[in-house]
Amino acid sequence: MPTYTDMTRCDGCGDCVDICPSDIMHIDPVYRRSYNIEPNFCWECYSCVKACEQHAIDVRGYADFAPLGHKVRVLREAKKGSISWKIRYRDGRIKEFTFPIRTTPWGSIKAAQEYENPDLRALGSPLLAHEPEALHVAALPTIKKA
Amino acid sequence: MTRRTKFVDSDILIVGGGFGGCGAAYESRYWGRDLKIVLIEKANVERSGAVAHGLSAINCYMGMQWGENQPEDFVRYARGDLMGLVREDLVYDIARHVDSTVHKFEEWGLPIMKNPNGRYMREGKWQIMIHGESYKPIVAEAARKSATEVYNRVMVTHLLTDKTRPNRIAGAVGFNVRNGDFYVFRAKVVIVGAGGGSHIYRPRAVGEGMGRTWYAPWSTASAYGLIIPTGAIMTQMENKIVLTRFKDGYGPVGAWFLLLKSQATNAAGEHYEKDRYPEIKARVGHYVDIVPMPTCLRNHAMLEEIKAGKGPIYMHTQKVLDTKEKEEIGWEDFLDMTVGQAVVWASQNIEPKEKPSELITSEPYIMGSHATCSGAWASGPEDCAPAEYQWGYNRMTTVEGLFGAGDTIGGSAHKFSAGSFTEGRIAGKAAVRYILDRKNESPQVDDDYVESLKQAVFKPLETYRVGRNEFVAGTVSPNFITPLQGLQRLEKIMDEYVGGYSMFYVTSENLLNRGLELLRMLQEDFEHVGAENLHQLQRAWELQHRILTGEAVAQHTLYRKETRWPGYYYRGDYPKLDDSQWHCFTGSQYNTKTREWKMSKLPVHRLIEGFELLQA
Amino acid sequence: MFTTNPFAVLTDFLSPLAMQIYVVLMALAVVAGTLFDMVHKGSAKFFAQHRDESEARAQRRLGGGEKVSLAIATIAEAAVSGEFCKWPRRLSHLLTMYGFLLYVITTVVMIFAYPARDSAPPILPMLWTVGALMILAGGLWFFFFLRVNVSHDGASPFHLGQADLFIGSLLASAAFALIWDFMQTTYGHSIPTWIVFGAYIFFTTLLFVSVPWSKFAHMFFKPAVAFQRKLEEANGSSDLPGPAAENYIVRS
Repeated sequence: MPTYTDMTRCDGCGDCVDICPSDIMHIDPVYRRSYNIEPNFCWECYSCVKACEQHAIDVRGYADFAPLGHKVRVLREAKKGSISWKIRYRDGRIKEFTFPIRTTPWGSIKAAQEYENPDLRALGSPLLAHEPEALHVAALPTIKKA
Repeated sequence: MTRRTKFVDSDILIVGGGFGGCGAAYESRYWGRDLKIVLIEKANVERSGAVAHGLSAINCYMGMQWGENQPEDFVRYARGDLMGLVREDLVYDIARHVDSTVHKFEEWGLPIMKNPNGRYMREGKWQIMIHGESYKPIVAEAARKSATEVYNRVMVTHLLTDKTRPNRIAGAVGFNVRNGDFYVFRAKVVIVGAGGGSHIYRPRAVGEGMGRTWYAPWSTASAYGLIIPTGAIMTQMENKIVLTRFKDGYGPVGAWFLLLKSQATNAAGEHYEKDRYPEIKARVGHYVDIVPMPTCLRNHAMLEEIKAGKGPIYMHTQKVLDTKEKEEIGWEDFLDMTVGQAVVWASQNIEPKEKPSELITSEPYIMGSHATCSGAWASGPEDCAPAEYQWGYNRMTTVEGLFGAGDTIGGSAHKFSAGSFTEGRIAGKAAVRYILDRKNESPQVDDDYVESLKQAVFKPLETYRVGRNEFVAGTVSPNFITPLQGLQRLEKIMDEYVGGYSMFYVTSENLLNRGLELLRMLQEDFEHVGAENLHQLQRAWELQHRILTGEAVAQHTLYRKETRWPGYYYRGDYPKLDDSQWHCFTGSQYNTKTREWKMSKLPVHRLIEGFELLQA
Repeated sequence: MFTTNPFAVLTDFLSPLAMQIYVVLMALAVVAGTLFDMVHKGSAKFFAQHRDESEARAQRRLGGGEKVSLAIATIAEAAVSGEFCKWPRRLSHLLTMYGFLLYVITTVVMIFAYPARDSAPPILPMLWTVGALMILAGGLWFFFFLRVNVSHDGASPFHLGQADLFIGSLLASAAFALIWDFMQTTYGHSIPTWIVFGAYIFFTTLLFVSVPWSKFAHMFFKPAVAFQRKLEEANGSSDLPGPAAENYIVRS
């Protein structure tokens, strides 16, 4: 379902242009607001929809196979680690869901270099970082060569 | 107009910020604390790659800690699914490490669904369910923190080899998609974690719906398009994947089949796979008895059913959503990774509790991270790979210093997201060792060649600028084609000659040869692609990577005189499985100067015993 | 300059009535332009249709008092440019918006209430100058650094397009106003002064007359739509999901 930007909600902040994995959210030359320049390369990944703080971007199902009158809208609340969906069917039926998206605070991942320096003699072994402990088994499996 | 050139020197250059690239960034930093690690991504690492939406399951997790599976079991499973043809060493290697990757993901904040007993909730034998909407942002955070520099919106168009040693990688070139700067990356090691190939074949939807390919439209086969010109050996490029998914939206079926235990029938409500058994056995012999039934054979049964006029094929969602919890799982399955399927339901008034949904086979894709394994021929793990499968550094291709992960690496099937990240880790560690083993080595790029590439990279802009003077307006020029026009020609050629959906995936020697002729003309026409702006320039180079990949696919498909995977594609002239001649991998090496492909057979070695070949 | 009403000085050559008629014409141009936009483009009809559809979906009726307080909230939000989610954009808009209000209001007061020379209290031309400077500060910052096509989409800071009609003519009006005031003060009614005055009038006229083609009218549309959204959230007809009840980030 390609995306479209609401004329009066978009305040031209550029977050959608920044995030789009397909490079298809760009700035319209007449209104200086965002729009989808290539709906046929839109995967409806919802990255731009979720990134827009004004909720100015929505999705309309691909005209090839999605009849009109539906809405699938989302509210991603990163600070709560949650995502909520509200789906309106063409016949008016509504469905709502909320799911978790993260259990730890954003920015809290311990970077690889924050761990103690590895023993470089282990470079020749097949063990990857944090192994074997992170495997939760005693040793890394291997196959004895014939 | 003079274009700025930016030089970026690094120890490790990672091309592509998807799961493979992010794994490489993390692990190479762990082992190479002082190394300069640069990650380049044509979009934005935060949501780039095939996991942009998110995922609802991790499809590769052993659960060794609970004795659920062992890596050998996974090898048996993957090789069965691939009708015997996997690099057992690479598959084993992923399987034995992937659990640590998944445990780190959980530690980083990925919510994994759990049973009351605390174990991960299994979708199926190898799969676990996750609340994965933010899977990519979480993994991107780890990679961003670990890399020295991350370049977003820089597309790599070509890899560079050493000035004096053509079989040694030295870096890459590319351009900034926003401001048009030319980038020259010089590195001791390059790890390619770029995307596999969507839009190689004509998709079923050709209007706006063309955007709803099963694999991301931005997986533009750069993994292959970048590596093929280096002369690295490629393997299994004929091993295209066709997926059975919910129609049009291409929503996932794994959770429906495995977790919710939903079933698929023809329009009359019949379970058709059993009826097709004798016919499949006539094609592939005892392979039909592999448990679980190989994906391609299941596709085949469905295709035969559809051709017999017994479709549509339905997934009976209405028979399994008897609790609110199951309904939520069913919807989350889509909303976490393929929102478009939820849109199809809402737009067509399909209430899954009341109505079944149609299933369909997709157009073919070329990739290495899913149930098929196209990609570069790579060195395997030193402790368990046979001698023919290793030449010193795990996941290094046959070009020195050129490593790969994810879709890039061939023969290594059923990795999926966690496996691709794991493969990135494996390549990352090996890359660090490669550099430390060669402390005094510093590959050199050929400056003249780089200058000529700079001209080539931006040429489509000039082609458009000059050619535009001929006509009033619009998109029709007698002298240039737009990237979309080129793409649609590629997709049509592949569809009609190399076994696309319109041919029910059938091809033959005659069709393939004709297809190769047309592909050659398309490749020649690439010199006349006109790009109106930088966005179109990105599309132009994506097209080049796809054309090269299409050609590789056609060559490999021509070479393998057999139908190894009915349901993925068929050689009409060699309709049966032939273990006497073709229980091997296909290999190719491309020469950019002569434009010739050197084909070869590569051996299949068994690490885990117990696979029976089909006697003639 | 600064303490002298520049329009009063201009009465040497132009009658106050002429200036007052010009101001009224510009105000009418804005009204006419906005109405034309709404009627000819059908934006009023679209807005009315959308409002009717959402009222049909309303889950509860809102009382008059509720609506008034939502309207006040909308105006309050617009007053602090709260619709901007990034602080540099918000700050530059506040500067430009309040600068514009100051500039316009002091212009009107000086032309209508103090046409005679030396009659205006110095605070008025001072505020007029400050208003114009605020427009330039906020507007130039926005124009060269913050316009989204420049900051995010690779356009040159010198790029000019139809979208820049409003900000461009506003900046030119304020800049030439200040230059004209300076030239009139320093060089009196000389040819160069007249030329700059001509530019000032040209761009000021362009600003108000180009409403059907510029983003001027959006300063009315946006608050109207913002108010409509608040109504929808309150009466349950919004198609956006409500905030989640749970917080899933459990570990510190």
